Amino acid sequence: MNEELKRDIFELSGIMSVSGFESLATEKIRERYQTYFDEIQVDAVGNHLLRRSCGRTDAPSILVDAHFDEIGMMVTKICEGGFLRFTSVGGLSQSVLQGADVVIYGTRTLRGIITSTPPHLRGDSEDILPEAEELLIDVGYPEEELEKIAPVGTPIGFAPRYRELAGGALAGKSFDNKACGAIAAYAIAHTPRENLAGDVTLLLSAFEETSRIGGVAPGAFSANPDYAMVIDVNLARVPHTPKSETVPLRGGVSLAWSAATHRELTAMTKALCQEKEIPHVMVAAPSSTGTNSPTLNLVGSGIPVVDVGLPLRNMHTYYEVIAPEDADALCRLVQAFIESPALAERFGGRKEELPT
Amino acid sequence: MTVWKPEREAAIDLLRDLSLSFGPTGCEGEVARKIMERIQPLCDSLCYDRMGNVLALCRFGEGENDRRKVMISAHMDEVGIMITEICDDGLCRFDTVGGIHRSVLEGRTVTVGDEIHRLQGVIASKAIHHKTKKERNQLTPWDQLYLDIGVSNREEAETLVSVGDLGTFDSDFYLFGKDDSMVKGKALDDRMGCAAMILVMAELRKHPLSKNLDLYFCFTVREELGLSGAKVAAAKIRPDLAIVLETTAVGDLAEVTPGKQVANVGQGGVLSVMDRSTVYDQAFLHFALQTAKEDGIPCQLKRYVSGGNDAGSIHKTGEGVRCLALSAPTRYLHSPSCVTSVEDYLSIAALVRAMLSRMSGDTP
Repeated sequence: MNEELKRDIFELSGIMSVSGFESLATEKIRERYQTYFDEIQVDAVGNHLLRRSCGRTDAPSILVDAHFDEIGMMVTKICEGGFLRFTSVGGLSQSVLQGADVVIYGTRTLRGIITSTPPHLRGDSEDILPEAEELLIDVGYPEEELEKIAPVGTPIGFAPRYRELAGGALAGKSFDNKACGAIAAYAIAHTPRENLAGDVTLLLSAFEETSRIGGVAPGAFSANPDYAMVIDVNLARVPHTPKSETVPLRGGVSLAWSAATHRELTAMTKALCQEKEIPHVMVAAPSSTGTNSPTLNLVGSGIPVVDVGLPLRNMHTYYEVIAPEDADALCRLVQAFIESPALAERFGGRKEELPT
Repeated sequence: MTVWKPEREAAIDLLRDLSLSFGPTGCEGEVARKIMERIQPLCDSLCYDRMGNVLALCRFGEGENDRRKVMISAHMDEVGIMITEICDDGLCRFDTVGGIHRSVLEGRTVTVGDEIHRLQGVIASKAIHHKTKKERNQLTPWDQLYLDIGVSNREEAETLVSVGDLGTFDSDFYLFGKDDSMVKGKALDDRMGCAAMILVMAELRKHPLSKNLDLYFCFTVREELGLSGAKVAAAKIRPDLAIVLETTAVGDLAEVTPGKQVANVGQGGVLSVMDRSTVYDQAFLHFALQTAKEDGIPCQLKRYVSGGNDAGSIHKTGEGVRCLALSAPTRYLHSPSCVTSVEDYLSIAALVRAMLSRMSGDTP
């Protein structure tokens, strides 16, 4: 993985985009990507659509989707002594909360620390983890000031902090799924225009973490593509997890066989991996992929979709881990997908399928 | 006479440097070296003993008789982890060294290795997606926690880490809260005590005491494992009095009943009457309270019998030693995010200085 892509992954993942607050990121997305894309648009629900045209008329329309929201928290109450009560937004892992560094995105940005229960107050419930709602955030401001700075409803994110581990592995928050967004944007931006098999839209979709019927549907509706790829992180294999539901870190991208995606497009994407020697593993997700794919598949008059995964360890913590080999494989696959004449030939221009 | 108080910015820089140093129990060398560099010009003689303690003597007064020996002590070690097994998938198993509650381990980056070679890793368990509802509401069992250093097989892992490697939290040090009044960092237990001692030593070098005092500033090892370093240091020094500078866990969170809060962050150093390791000397305690009152230095009493510190081994040394414990009230102790107030840290150094200048004859 080159330095530019690594920096993109850190930067994009470091932007606050807790589900429901994605549109606060528009300026930063524009700043980073406006030189590479012809048009950047934010829609009514907080989707960002980044368009890059191939320059030909009657070209197919290709969609690449990567959700842009992240898990986080929200202020629910201001407490005496400089503390905030909060609730989770998305599937927050209770086991990583105590003592965590967070950022409160109020009228001013404040740093805070999630409280942990001191030993003498833990009682007998040694193994019970407090729920998010039972913990506090220590911010060190008087209540009356907090009422103004961080009123109820203010979003809270984990503090962005990134580390490079052995073997070039990256660790940090919100790689789910902004690492995939950054990789896709990089691949699309660096594909020569004349190589594009069609007009490409990168959909950085909103609120996947809170509601899978949310952002992607209107985003895909307005993009109205001929075919699409959904990219999301996939659970990397660790102890005590079923082999059938996980993929190896450094095993390359995963492609899902699923009744909720397009089988022929999946097969052709697999062939593309084989042709370009892109490391990949096939996984079975019989009735749902757990990603945006099933929803996107049924938007409008139906969109052929292939579901692609990036292996990731420690999902929904603030030190998710990805491997550079897998990121490179994903980057090459996105490029192959948007360049493929075979996919354009098979799926392009098939919008009028009604009998006349 | 105005009461001395350390200069804030320099005191924070010192604390930051010590907090970010690597010093898990049993591997305190880096912290010791940093401290020795700083205190070399501040003391009359210095010794790095065979256990790893740093002992510095500051001698005051010309008299040969009636000299009193005062031990001032803080520990250099911090709670940490040790790698116990390297697994086939390149992930490592580990155990804690010192009391770390499982609830603050998961999701954290740690620095592992020894005094020379170190790398970073992440402590994790299977993702929430693979946990049952019951599992999600429970602390992850020990056998399901692992250390991820980023590699994917045993061979690679073994070239980078070994069984027995130690680790500490890898955690940012920063100020937060209104007017940056609060400080957050790892190992404030007890680098704050070490830092306060260095501040006092620097001040005494500028403004020496006129009393016949031998001050032994002791930066000890292995407090987190049975108060060990201070035990041997005190046996060697045989002090008349000892002041232990520490941090104490407090529970002054919103909606906790006052009786269970222990002490309050922002209300000054905490003087212990009794904890789980020591019943403190009453006269010494009253001397401290009186000094604080006279000089207008904030301090508070510990309102709960909990915790323990090096005083536990010092007070039982030889014929017995009269001890005082002065601690920074600290939230989330033994976690990557210890939190206390900058003012409390400064006032602890000020109170030690004020007590030393008042010690004479049989006082306390």
